[in-house]
Amino acid sequence: MDIIQAKKITRSFGREPLITHVLRGVDVHVAEGEFLTIMGKSGAGKSTLMYQLSVLDTPSSGELVVDGVDVMQLNEKERTSFRLHTLGYVFQDYALVPDLSARENVMMPLLMRGDPWATAKRKAAKSLDEVGLAGKYENLPTELSGGEQQRVAIARAIAVAPKIIFADEPTANLDTVSSKQIIDLLTCLNETSGQTIVMVTHEREYALGANRILHMEDGMIIREEKLR
Amino acid sequence: MRSLRIGLLLGLRQIQRASIWTTVLIIFVMMLTFLNLIAVSGILVGLIAGSERAVQEKTIGDIIITPLDAEDKILQTETVRRTLTTIPEISAFSVRYKQGIKIEANYKTRRDLNAEANIVGSQAVGFNPFEEDTVTTLSENIIEGEYFEPNESGYIILGALNLERYTAGFADITGGLKEVYPGDTVRVTIGQASREFIVKGIINAKAGGVANSVYLPEQELRRLIGSPDRNANEIIIRLTDSTPVEALAVKDILVSLGLSEFAKIRTFEEALPKFITDIKNTFNILGTFIGSIGIVVASITIFIIIFINALSRRRHIGILKGIGIERSVIEIAYVSQAAFYALTGSFLGALLTYSFLVPYFDNNPIQFPFSDGILSADPESTFYKFVTLFIITLFAGFVPAWMIAKQNTLNAILGRK
Repeated sequence: MDIIQAKKITRSFGREPLITHVLRGVDVHVAEGEFLTIMGKSGAGKSTLMYQLSVLDTPSSGELVVDGVDVMQLNEKERTSFRLHTLGYVFQDYALVPDLSARENVMMPLLMRGDPWATAKRKAAKSLDEVGLAGKYENLPTELSGGEQQRVAIARAIAVAPKIIFADEPTANLDTVSSKQIIDLLTCLNETSGQTIVMVTHEREYALGANRILHMEDGMIIREEKLR
Repeated sequence: MRSLRIGLLLGLRQIQRASIWTTVLIIFVMMLTFLNLIAVSGILVGLIAGSERAVQEKTIGDIIITPLDAEDKILQTETVRRTLTTIPEISAFSVRYKQGIKIEANYKTRRDLNAEANIVGSQAVGFNPFEEDTVTTLSENIIEGEYFEPNESGYIILGALNLERYTAGFADITGGLKEVYPGDTVRVTIGQASREFIVKGIINAKAGGVANSVYLPEQELRRLIGSPDRNANEIIIRLTDSTPVEALAVKDILVSLGLSEFAKIRTFEEALPKFITDIKNTFNILGTFIGSIGIVVASITIFIIIFINALSRRRHIGILKGIGIERSVIEIAYVSQAAFYALTGSFLGALLTYSFLVPYFDNNPIQFPFSDGILSADPESTFYKFVTLFIITLFAGFVPAWMIAKQNTLNAILGRK
């Protein structure tokens, strides 16, 4: 069963005659439990596509159903709530709140979902343990390496047990060792927990752990590659 | 409730992680704003409050009894006097007799009878010196010579403004006795009756009327007037508790005992000249206006601080919204910071005001020609000013947070305009 169904998605910026068409009628279907990678050169539209699928942006046209919800019909507040309850995010440059400790960063969405303080604290610790950051709960982001910060971001994403995790070039700012650890972590999540993951990357080496790769160029999917 | 809790956590952590010097500076600005709000109007009102206090202490007392409108004396003064002694809330009272007089000095050494006499018109106040001193502590205002001793006669105390040397600025208008010092003899004339008195002392006070009058024991004045009428012109009362509420309560007791049939009974506040109340209200408005400029400056300061803070964290705000944190959480986080600055600054300002400034100005009043200026900062008015400052600060914190938080989530995350 498809957890994401996107049909003829377009995304344009600007106004005529200076309009830029970044996505030109993209169809994407992601099955539940699938690990999908989107690849392409810079400017191919891969990140833009991910922002549409992850409900961070609204397509200019097309149909988009995520987890059975027609997200095109949601208002801003409903979209925020939908993201909180259904989706998890791992951004390129970690995107942690610098004033909060690692544990508090992970606790944020849990508290927002209504978990009591103690429960959120416990769940956050468990998530941090899962990504190998036991003992670094109270560290501020500035006290962690890039790889560790990205792992905190993953812990924040998985703590709320989302239906889908979106990862936007999660290894872009990491060294090779840290990058491999992050990819292994995501692959492991997919294989052991059946976590649906949509990841954008421009490095083929890191895309190989996925089930499927979508290759993009000029705002369109030009090729689909099944790996497993 | 959930948003409030998370917002407060974010706000608290931002304050904790902010530069200590930045935080101290913001709190200092808020403290100065609060002080500006309290102190400017406080000192302006304090000029009048100091004058009011002096009038209450030296002239009117806590309650004043004066003749009914149709009378020139308090009827049945002895009955009134006896009644006052039965009321426990009254700690002291002084019965005053007043009479317009002429005082002449140096008449014995005057050689040229065609020259202008050394004479001045004034008001004589006759009282029991001990009772008067208990109510008004008049003896503390003696600036030359001494106050009356018990059971002595033939002495007079002159208000300083009856003497030329104390009226340098006003001499052209008021005139004054020349070269009169304690120990000199002056001649007091009422109608056709005259009598010599030795100047016992010179008295001065900024309370209205004190320095313009001359003082002598009650029986001496009545003897000079030559009237058997023992009805007085004024009775001033000091209470054990000098608050306006207590004064009103005791006034009600006096009215209920029927004394209002013999005289007009007014509390200090009721008897205060209207122009003093008018000036006080005007100064209060003026002070509030000046203080409100401070509030505007503080609110702009807070706005800029929160705006820069929120703008520099625009991306993090976008990320928080991206992961599902409601906009209200972000707004609460910034408003709570503004609240922290306002609360801490106001608390320190209030602490400084009540633990240092008010006692300091009470002990070291600002010397003005017509009063001893104090810092008037009654807690109720301070509280209202604090609430005003607090609400405006919250608003100044909310607007920039709202402006940044309402921006498109993805644009904020990507740093796009």
